[in-house]
Amino acid sequence: MLRKLRYLFQRKRFNSELDDEIRFHLEMAAEERGEAQARREFGSTVRMREDTRSAWQIRWLEDLLSDLRYAARAFRRNPGFAAVAIFSLALGIGANTTIFSLTMEFLFSQPSCRNPETLVDMRIGGNSDIDRAKYRCLRDAHIFDGLAGSNEEHKAEANWRFGNDTYRLQTMRVTENFFQVVGVPVVMGRPMEPRDGDVVVLSDRFWRARLAADPKVLGKALIIDGRPFTVVGVLPHNHRTVLGFGFSPDLYIPASRESDIVALIARLPHGMSRQAAYARLVAACKQLDKVYPPDWGPGASWSNNVEVVPVAGVERLRSLNILPFAAFFAMLMVVVGLVLLIACANVSSLLLARASSRRQELAIRLAIGAGRGRIVRQLLAESLLLALLGTFAGLLLNVWLSGVMNRVQLPLPLPMQLLIQPDWRLLLYSMAVAVGSALVAGLMPALKATRRGVSAALKLTERQVGQFTLRNALVVGQLAVSVVLLTAGFLFLRNMTKSMTMNPGFDAEHAVWAFTRLVPEKYTTVEQKQNLVRNALGELRALPGVESASIACIVPLNDNWVTMTDVRTDVSEQPIRVRFHGSCAAPDYFRTMGIPILQGREFLPSDRKDAADAVIINENMARELFGNRSAVGHTIRYTRPALSAPMTVVGVAKNSKYFTLGEENPLALYNPFNADAWTTNLHFLVRASRPRDVVKEVARTLGRLDASASIEVKPMRDAMGFAFLPSRVGAALLGSMGLLGLALASIGLYGVMSYSVARRTREIGLRVALGADRGAVLRMVARESFALLGIGLAIGLGISVFATRPLAMFLVPELSANDPVTFLAVVGVLFVVACVATLGPALRALRVDPMTALRYE
Amino acid sequence: MQPTPELLPGTLYLLILKILARGPLHGYAIARRIKDSSEEALEIEEGSLYPALNRMLVKGWLTAEWGVSENNRKARFYSLTPEGRKQLDHESQQFDKLIEAIQLVMRTA
Repeated sequence: MLRKLRYLFQRKRFNSELDDEIRFHLEMAAEERGEAQARREFGSTVRMREDTRSAWQIRWLEDLLSDLRYAARAFRRNPGFAAVAIFSLALGIGANTTIFSLTMEFLFSQPSCRNPETLVDMRIGGNSDIDRAKYRCLRDAHIFDGLAGSNEEHKAEANWRFGNDTYRLQTMRVTENFFQVVGVPVVMGRPMEPRDGDVVVLSDRFWRARLAADPKVLGKALIIDGRPFTVVGVLPHNHRTVLGFGFSPDLYIPASRESDIVALIARLPHGMSRQAAYARLVAACKQLDKVYPPDWGPGASWSNNVEVVPVAGVERLRSLNILPFAAFFAMLMVVVGLVLLIACANVSSLLLARASSRRQELAIRLAIGAGRGRIVRQLLAESLLLALLGTFAGLLLNVWLSGVMNRVQLPLPLPMQLLIQPDWRLLLYSMAVAVGSALVAGLMPALKATRRGVSAALKLTERQVGQFTLRNALVVGQLAVSVVLLTAGFLFLRNMTKSMTMNPGFDAEHAVWAFTRLVPEKYTTVEQKQNLVRNALGELRALPGVESASIACIVPLNDNWVTMTDVRTDVSEQPIRVRFHGSCAAPDYFRTMGIPILQGREFLPSDRKDAADAVIINENMARELFGNRSAVGHTIRYTRPALSAPMTVVGVAKNSKYFTLGEENPLALYNPFNADAWTTNLHFLVRASRPRDVVKEVARTLGRLDASASIEVKPMRDAMGFAFLPSRVGAALLGSMGLLGLALASIGLYGVMSYSVARRTREIGLRVALGADRGAVLRMVARESFALLGIGLAIGLGISVFATRPLAMFLVPELSANDPVTFLAVVGVLFVVACVATLGPALRALRVDPMTALRYE
Repeated sequence: MQPTPELLPGTLYLLILKILARGPLHGYAIARRIKDSSEEALEIEEGSLYPALNRMLVKGWLTAEWGVSENNRKARFYSLTPEGRKQLDHESQQFDKLIEAIQLVMRTA
């Protein structure tokens, strides 16, 4: 096979060598027997040459190449047709491969590490993280080739003092052996090593953006949480963390504090199966039980809920429980698949139109003995060439779009950066898409073009009306699919506007959020923190323009803390299972956030002392626990792990949104705010009639109190980007897909209408000549177009009613998946498109001079 | 021209392999050698020799190299590859078996 392929590229040389050889043979023979005799004996050299060549030929490949050459010539003669077809396919394939790249990168990218196949994430006792003492105990059991740990959650934030400012950084805190066990490559300097002490490895992004890509950065010290850390290395720009999902920390520092907790990652010995690793880990966990007895209730053991999961792939997604995410991507893939289908239908109907104008050429070829299969193959080669060119253009589009997506900075609580790069998976996928769309777009037209017998095809014209059922069916199909796409797109656009204008239940227009992260090591006693909070609140309240100030542990729509537990009230013996959003708030919180207290009162300074004895709950929780009774004055107690002291409900707050805009009837419970030993993040909240005016002053005030703290101040409206993100991303992606589908379908409709009018030019001329008035002709053309539209709409809307139902999980509860406004809008838009697509060809038909039309042909 | 007996199908490969087993030869010499060693009983048509040689090149049994012939002309010399040698063993065994079988039938029937 390889030898044959080589022949393909050296055909010229081969032919001349064969000639030489034959000449030599003839000369030798001529010397012996005379030239004439030799020639006679040799026989036909042409025939022999053909036979010899055929030994080397790969028949189908050469046929294919010559078909492709033929197709290319045909397209050069008819560039308009080729351009529209390639453009349609490029849009469809560009959208398709881009979503594919995005999905692959987001869900299935491989972390930057050595031999990912022997690397596994581990979880023990159902805990995602364990503290350092337990980690050491497991590590020193030496049951694997290496056991490391990492932590990237909010405990891994750090303050970086640079000049006169302090910045909050996202770090990845890792055990000293992490770089060795995982095998993370660095591009400059060296990885972190055991016994390194306070060192730091920088991300490429941090190094470039914050340190101006300083080439002499190695050996310099960064002041992190008040201590100098020496820079030992810089990561490559395409570094992907073991966490995945585009998470992009600023730097890696050792998880050397005793308070650090880590998630486990292990390097399995070569050839060890995951079952074997699991068994070893369970055994080690039983040992761990003896050293560190688990403290979460009777019967608990570290060996329960042990998980050993690969660091990449489907299984990991399942164990992380993020299937809704995956569902979203699956939906996107379906949507772009539909867009591609519309594009293919466009190409298909273009090919049909072309085939009918080439009917005679094909008929002649059939008549002189070309096999039908051969002609179908040739027509398919045309659509394959179109698909290949379309794929190439689509891939250019893909590279550009991926570049845009890589640069997008989303308002997320954790820094994220996508590193989408074209790779072999994309290449394979796009080849499959190209071949698939060539078949989908080309097969039907090719079969149809060759189906008629020779005699029928040789006839010059074809005038029967209503013969183009295949083209009409294609347009109806396109319209139906684009109705589905448009419905989904509109639904998400409506969702976005709904959620942007939605009242989150608190006053986002007048609140300012000041996020202050303290350096934990700087505060040795709780009193110091409490003093800081008291002073800060005092100074903030005194600022001009500030109406009130408070502090909370959770800022709504930015973070959450969900508890599921059994609660017993003083009105019923029966414990009630509740799932609620917890938070804690200082006095004036509800006033500052503009959340009305419906019954009872706000927290008072006196509530602060003995933390948990006063609580405020929201309406939903009050109804859940106390029914229609007034909740104020009643007490509640947790029943697990042990019966807690009773807490008195002092107030009932109006319902609001807590973590997502999509949540439905959430319960909520607030405790009084009380700084404790673990508090590092302080969320100060300020109410001002003009929030933007006080931002600077708030930051300065807090900065004066603790220069080592990082402070980020922003109006609450700006801080809600994260909450709007799902609806915005959904609207952007699905809205643009809907528009793309609509554009492609309108091209298709327009093409079919102008083609059918062109075919009926003679008939229309005749009608006009016989005295038909223009209105009647217009009606006749419009009837055809609106019949197509009507059928397409009916089918499309029918499908949409069911197809959009699963989308409800992505929508805010105020919007139903069968939103009537959406359906009306879709019908309206398609109606306008159909009018435009009909009017052009119809007017052209009316301008036809009857005489010209009759003389036509 | 005297009539030559028809070659058994597939035996052309065998003959070429056998002749090349002794050393590289060019196309004309191969034809010559077959004719000579069969005492002129077998004559290979050039029209089938070269296609056969090329098919054998494709199969990897032979390699071809340009060299200089005995009368100082540029000629293409064919030689056996290890694979070709294996094929020769295989085919000659098959051939012997076939001949034996045919003779058996001829004698008993």
